[in-house]
Amino acid sequence: MGDLMIQIEHLHKTYRSGFLMKPKPALKDVSFSVEPGQVYGFIGPNGAGKSTTIKVLTGLLNFDSGKVLVNGISPRDVKSRRFIGYSPEQPYFYDYLTGRELLRFYGTLVGLDGAELDKRIAWALDLLHANKDWIDRRLRSYSKGMMQRVGIAQAILGKPKLLILDEPMSGLDPMGRRDVREAIQQLNRDGVTIFYSSHLLSDVESISHKVAMIVDGKIVREGTVDEITESCGVEYHVRTRKAILESDLPQGVSLTGHPEEFVCEDDSARDRLLAFCLANGIAVEKMDHKRPSLEDILTEEIARADA
Amino acid sequence: MQTLKHIAIIAHNTFRESIRDKILYNIVFLAIALTLFSIVLGEWSVFDRAYVIKSTTLSVMSLSGLLISIFVGISLVQKEIQRRTVLTLLSKPISRVTFIVGKYFGLLAVVAVHLTLLTVIYYVMLFLTNAEPTASLLLAIYLIFCEMAVVIAVALLFSSFSSTVLSALFTLGVYFAGHLSNQLLEQVRFASRMGEMGDASTALFEKAAVVIHAVFPGLYRYNVTSYVVHGLALPDLYLFWNTVYAVGYVGLFLAIASWWFSRRDFL
Repeated sequence: MGDLMIQIEHLHKTYRSGFLMKPKPALKDVSFSVEPGQVYGFIGPNGAGKSTTIKVLTGLLNFDSGKVLVNGISPRDVKSRRFIGYSPEQPYFYDYLTGRELLRFYGTLVGLDGAELDKRIAWALDLLHANKDWIDRRLRSYSKGMMQRVGIAQAILGKPKLLILDEPMSGLDPMGRRDVREAIQQLNRDGVTIFYSSHLLSDVESISHKVAMIVDGKIVREGTVDEITESCGVEYHVRTRKAILESDLPQGVSLTGHPEEFVCEDDSARDRLLAFCLANGIAVEKMDHKRPSLEDILTEEIARADA
Repeated sequence: MQTLKHIAIIAHNTFRESIRDKILYNIVFLAIALTLFSIVLGEWSVFDRAYVIKSTTLSVMSLSGLLISIFVGISLVQKEIQRRTVLTLLSKPISRVTFIVGKYFGLLAVVAVHLTLLTVIYYVMLFLTNAEPTASLLLAIYLIFCEMAVVIAVALLFSSFSSTVLSALFTLGVYFAGHLSNQLLEQVRFASRMGEMGDASTALFEKAAVVIHAVFPGLYRYNVTSYVVHGLALPDLYLFWNTVYAVGYVGLFLAIASWWFSRRDFL
């Protein structure tokens, strides 16, 4: 267990607001762990607790109870942040500085200076395919996409062991998303562990080794994308050469809107439909199986939590 | 060593941020205008011209230092929180104590530069108007700087846990209490000796005055204008002990501010 990059066990966090300090639980018994070298996606709807978890990891938020370790060190200890690079959601910076001045400022805070700092800045900008023309302009003139790249650049300057990114692709155009996705993959190949939250589930599916899904402050699914999607079963789409009346359909089988096309909710429903077709001399023209996407599962989990 | 470097980096950035603040420029220009206006006041006044110029300018220095400490100082921490720049900064390997101390020294540097600028203008003005510039005036300016050092620490303390408006009001409250506490204690004791109050109320008022005098920093110590403009000598070691007094209060206020700030959540 000492080898884990992130270890969270039974984490609880409650916000208190208003004059009467009304409690609002944000994290309820959250547990998961991230191994070194992983790209770990953290997904969930708005207000589910993603940013809260990230801020606990970076020492920006205190927590009520539970165990949280980053590279074996509590985030309450400032030493834990020597290993971390963090870019917040919608990063805000000192807008009176230029992009380069800002990177120099953050670089000096992680112990860099002189030629080494200049080299790291150039490396970070290259990695993010950042246009060198705008890096010497004042930040107040930056677009959201430029700001996002500067945010990630300042996070990686110190070559952290663990890179924590809160919604790194929000506000980026498709090219920007691709650049950030490639940068994440490159950093991971260089040995950096990446923990990031995102709403863009297709990106999460394509680059994450493991994923945790958080809904209403609770982890509802955790594992590789395959493990999560397979755990939800496989749906079968069957097309026959002859229509079947809805009243005759076996249990677990439903019409798709076309009298010759059916959806079987699991393996046994498929078997029942095939047996029915065989017994009634109905030829099967086509059969596909479809695994639910992360989006399908997340939508289902949100609906379950709302219910 | 690393901590000192971080404090210097944050202080430098704070200084850089503050000197872009429009409020600062307004205060500095107002202070310069009032300093120059003291020449006119000296001509109009029935008092000695040199006395009026010297005492008015020292008051302007004190007042403008106070305004900078409150209006620029308080907004420094609040702006970091509201603009969420604090999130990136505190995710670096720097403690919240380092952050508060760095902010403090950044603003102290701004006040030091402001007072230096006014001092240069002050002395040029005294030379040009033959108003007897003396080195002892520097003692008064140094003590104003010590006073502002305490006021900035108070402002940072309040801004570490309350809103901008409340922080400004609390800091002004401490400033006035710090200037009036000695007078209040003397008045209450005088009234007690003269028998102007009943026994019960005397004891109560005296206790309250003693508590106020003990709790609030005695900022009245840093107003030596009447001494220096009349060419009177300050008591032996006055500067030394009052520097120690200011350093003690600054340390105490920054320690409390750091403690509060360390408990805060940043959303």
